Amino acid sequence: MLIYLVRRILWAILVVFVVLFITFLVFFKLPNGDPALRFAGKTPTPAMLDEIHHRLHLDKPWYIEFGYFVKTFATGDQYGWPGLGYSYNSFASVKSQIVYRAPRTLWLIAGAATLWLTFGVAIGVLSAVKRRTLVDRLAMGFALFGISAPVFWLGLIALYIFWRTLHWTAGTGYTPIAQGPGQWFSHMILPWVVLSMLYTAIYARMTRNNLLETLGEDYIRTARAKGLSERRVIFRHGLRASLTPIVTLFGLDVALLVGGAIITESVFNLQGLGWMAINSATQQDLPIVLGVVLCTATAVAFMNLVVDIVYAFLDPRVRYS
Amino acid sequence: MKRTTRRLATALLVVAVGAVVLVAAGSGSRAKSQVSAGGTYKVGWEQSFGFTDNMDPVGEYLAEGFAIQTSLLDRTLVGYNHVPGAAGNKIVPDIATAVPTPTNGGKTYTFHIKQGVKFGPPVNRQVTSADFLNEMKRLASPKDGQEYGFYYNVIKGFASGKGKTISGISTPNASTIVFNLTQPTGDFLYRMSMGATSPQPAEVTKCFEGQAGKYGNDLISTGPYMIQGIDKVDISDCSKITAAPGYDGTSKMILVRNPNYDPKTDSTAARQNFPDEFDFLIDANKDDIYSKVAAGEFQDEISSPPGQVLEKYYTSHSPLLKQYSGDRTWYLTMNLTAPPFDDVHVRKAFNFIMNKNALVQAWGGPAIGKVAHHIVPDTLFNNQLAEYNPFATPGDKGSLSKAKAAMKGSKYDTKGNGTCSASACHNVYLLADTRGQDLKMVPVIEADAKKIGITFKVHSINGAYPTLQTPSKNVPIGERPGWGKDYADPLTFFTPLFDGRNIIPNGNTNYSLVGITPAQCKTLKVKGNCTNVPSVNSQLDKCSVLIGQPRLTCYENLDKYLTGTVVPWVPYLWSTATHIIAPNVTQWSFDQFSGSTGYAHVAVK
Amino acid sequence: MSSFSGSGTPLLDVRNLSVRFNTRDGVVQAVSDLSYTLRRGETLGVVGESGSGKSVTSLAIMGLLNRAHADVAGEIMFEGTDLLKLSKEELRTVRGRDISMIFQDPFACLHPMYRVGSQIAEAVRAHEDVSKSVAQARALELLDAVGIPNAKSRARDYPHQFSGGMRQRAMIAMALVHNPDVLIADEPTTALDVTVQAQILELIDKVKKEFDIGVVLITHDLGVVAETATHVLVMYAGRAMEYGPAHEIFNAAQHPYTWGLLESMPTVEKRLDMLVPIEGSPPSLLRPPPGCPFHPRCKYRFEPCDKKRPPLQSIPDGHPDACFLSPERKREIWKDRIGAELGLTV
Repeated sequence: MLIYLVRRILWAILVVFVVLFITFLVFFKLPNGDPALRFAGKTPTPAMLDEIHHRLHLDKPWYIEFGYFVKTFATGDQYGWPGLGYSYNSFASVKSQIVYRAPRTLWLIAGAATLWLTFGVAIGVLSAVKRRTLVDRLAMGFALFGISAPVFWLGLIALYIFWRTLHWTAGTGYTPIAQGPGQWFSHMILPWVVLSMLYTAIYARMTRNNLLETLGEDYIRTARAKGLSERRVIFRHGLRASLTPIVTLFGLDVALLVGGAIITESVFNLQGLGWMAINSATQQDLPIVLGVVLCTATAVAFMNLVVDIVYAFLDPRVRYS
Repeated sequence: MKRTTRRLATALLVVAVGAVVLVAAGSGSRAKSQVSAGGTYKVGWEQSFGFTDNMDPVGEYLAEGFAIQTSLLDRTLVGYNHVPGAAGNKIVPDIATAVPTPTNGGKTYTFHIKQGVKFGPPVNRQVTSADFLNEMKRLASPKDGQEYGFYYNVIKGFASGKGKTISGISTPNASTIVFNLTQPTGDFLYRMSMGATSPQPAEVTKCFEGQAGKYGNDLISTGPYMIQGIDKVDISDCSKITAAPGYDGTSKMILVRNPNYDPKTDSTAARQNFPDEFDFLIDANKDDIYSKVAAGEFQDEISSPPGQVLEKYYTSHSPLLKQYSGDRTWYLTMNLTAPPFDDVHVRKAFNFIMNKNALVQAWGGPAIGKVAHHIVPDTLFNNQLAEYNPFATPGDKGSLSKAKAAMKGSKYDTKGNGTCSASACHNVYLLADTRGQDLKMVPVIEADAKKIGITFKVHSINGAYPTLQTPSKNVPIGERPGWGKDYADPLTFFTPLFDGRNIIPNGNTNYSLVGITPAQCKTLKVKGNCTNVPSVNSQLDKCSVLIGQPRLTCYENLDKYLTGTVVPWVPYLWSTATHIIAPNVTQWSFDQFSGSTGYAHVAVK
Repeated sequence: MSSFSGSGTPLLDVRNLSVRFNTRDGVVQAVSDLSYTLRRGETLGVVGESGSGKSVTSLAIMGLLNRAHADVAGEIMFEGTDLLKLSKEELRTVRGRDISMIFQDPFACLHPMYRVGSQIAEAVRAHEDVSKSVAQARALELLDAVGIPNAKSRARDYPHQFSGGMRQRAMIAMALVHNPDVLIADEPTTALDVTVQAQILELIDKVKKEFDIGVVLITHDLGVVAETATHVLVMYAGRAMEYGPAHEIFNAAQHPYTWGLLESMPTVEKRLDMLVPIEGSPPSLLRPPPGCPFHPRCKYRFEPCDKKRPPLQSIPDGHPDACFLSPERKREIWKDRIGAELGLTV
């Protein structure tokens, strides 16, 4: 088990390194022209360009440039750790911007992920157990709806009904939890539900299919032959074995939302990391885009590691391979 | 008996009328007392501030930035009353005791500073002439982020001193400042009303030298409001300065009352300062902004209303829809060197044939603005040119007969029937952009041009300005451009647009190449017909030194000359500045100078 | 229908069992009119090709058939109760406690993600309300009893860490936690090596004697049955072809199908070219042929065979079989042909 863990950690570090390299190529090397111009924002003055050239070591050979890039990222710069540089468009360090916006994105993901995992799996199990009955068809119909309904449409409808008409929740925007948990919750509940809809649907279908497949396995027959209650057979034996692909998918889904929940963040005016990335891209604020890309990629590598570890706990066969 | 009845009736009538009068007066004064101080004025701002210099006045060129500076944060020597129309464009004293008349043949301006005008916390001291000089030096220094420094090149030694010294500015004492110009400049007072001339304390700005825009996070106020939290910033040492928490550059700007602002140094005609707080909040969702405005969660918005929203307010004649002259002209630009537009007959015929009404419809109809008839919007001329419309057609829909009549005699009218029939009239390159309104305008332009024999090859580019701004690309006609005033002087509509000496290889704004010389054509690689291109350079020089009504008349004549004789444009739209406000706004004013909300006069319940 | 004497009352008395599956292609008659009995101390070897219905019978006994798709008729009497009339919940209490079943592929039959010891402990707690530690102790006890060395440490292993034979031993241990009266073993050795096969069969036999239970041993391999069965039931196309004591089946088989099975069985003595396979393949259970289900492949078929179905009937000095051949003919064929080939004396 220890060897397995060590191997996976090393892999994760390698992945982050490769991501850094590709990002470096894409942002620094591949496009034509002076990288400093791209980093300097909308009003590049010669003094600014000089400073950027110096700070990013743009005049050195590419491997030294890359080396500093990695070193700054790993050990931090004058703005803190990780070292992500400075944005001339926003007049602030990239790290401070990310730190300011990360909590709302993370809360969004945490809430939505809890919802979709609970309800998705529950609906999937219900569907599988009551296969081909009305319950199953309704559940799968809901799944089709959840997958088809665009997030922005769901979001606007939800806002109209629950905020504008019924006044049950607060409208768009974000209140940090420290400033009022009630208000924070009121702002977050609609984005949580709306964002989780699509995933609930996908996970419900996936759970249903996996579980049905698992329930055809021999060890399920053994479990029944032992005289176990049907509930125990479904959950402890059936669901347990079906979880591994779900866990893998979950890790990836969560990681990608770190920089990817753009539509939800826009519709609900949460102004999280994804929204900031898009906004910065259209304003040609390269350092911020670079920062968010790196954060998302690192999140993916990290979540993959977490998934690998959870996988090993779930399926003992993996630990010894 | 009858007399008694009549007396009774009269008495009753008098009482009734009196009661009505009393009620009316009462409700009238009740209405007046509804406008009261207090509350927070919240503005929903779409997507991102878009400031050009992070609200550091030395370089902030965004109109919305101007609106906030002039009403709330940065007082200047002279300023405005922040009201609509011609009254809103009139120069009034702000920090100066009076609006000076220039001496020394129009080359010297002397200002006296009011006592009691102080910097807000944490600087907390009287504004002096040295503070003005400090800001002018920052304005002269390119590395501090300035964007419109060229307006001040008329000050002696401004350009050459490179921000270290300005020989033309002298400060004989702490409350007097004198500007010496290289030549008489009729609009100099307007130039001194711009935010970049507002006084800034050197003890704070020195910490941000060379870091364009950073000072905006710690802007020291001279106005009735200040950035929330600026009073807690430690300015004792440059290393101790942190950004004021109330403005984070990307999601919010919170302004609270400046305790050092003394209303006695100001006038209520200019600033009434009703709300206790101003919140400018970024909102990622345009529809959400208008929902919140309708619900009263925002009081105002900085965005552009979606079609249906605008339609709803417009057709119901809602008083919450505020529309004023935007002081902006949208036009089709014709290149005076490129066939067939190098022939003035063709240009005139084009003006006659265009259905300008349809073009305005393509923008969204009368809610968006009205048809333009000449170059400069009427408000800048105090409506003195309101009747001038040299290419008038019934309903502004264009007239084939008039167009044909104008075309006659053109070298391209080879058939002599008033249509452009030479080969140069076919497949002419038309540069278009890809916004909604551009996509709708192109078919109209094509259809109308065809009537006089001109056919186009349309090139659609997302973001067409850079192409249009490059003379070497030889674009014969472009449908994209619009131009708005920098301040209320027609100069800002002529110098950048029609001065032949200002034509540059990139970022050129004289798209029509008025006044270009054959030598310039060679260096700029312009391939068209460069002989005898009309020029207005001498007229521009003549007008710029005048002041008062003669200046206006001079520019009016220049507008007429350009619009009707040189004909570089087909102007078609004077767009309105549109704001939708919330029902709980008890008072609202438009600021004609900035073209946005006059925050100095708003009030919220 | 049981016509031979045995000791004690029957544990399991299957009477006229029929199982029909409703499939999209039609009705599949998996088992038709099957009857047999099982007593304590007996090992009934149920032999047949795949599709003969041998497994389905056991699943019907255990109540593991999906009642939505299968029509089960007849009676399955277990200690006086008809299992087919019990509710799902009542059946659940019988399964694993009174009747246990082990299956062919022990690797697939154990949950890969739980430790072996805890899976056995789980079986304990399925029918008895005891603490986890008590259940764990019982699990260890049984692992030991089935011959797994180092039971305590092996119990903490996962199935993939056990060898094939050990896994099957563990399955047997799991089947025995509640001292069931009947153990059904469905092809328990098919997936194992030959040497391990013998060990497992030996273990099952030992368990039967030690715990005094009845065993149903399902297999397609007559050789397996030869070692440990006390009685043999030969099934073909869902029907009983021959049913009798093991020594009679092996020394005086009566049915042509059984003869074919015996002839095709490889032993150490026979050379490969002496193996005689049964020609043809099992019939479709959707559209069974008229008459005797075996007749299309039978070397000895004659006139009545494709017209009427031969009933399962006993012959004098013999045991029940389902064949129209006369008893004399049967004995004759056995003596002259089959018995001689097999080197057996009658």
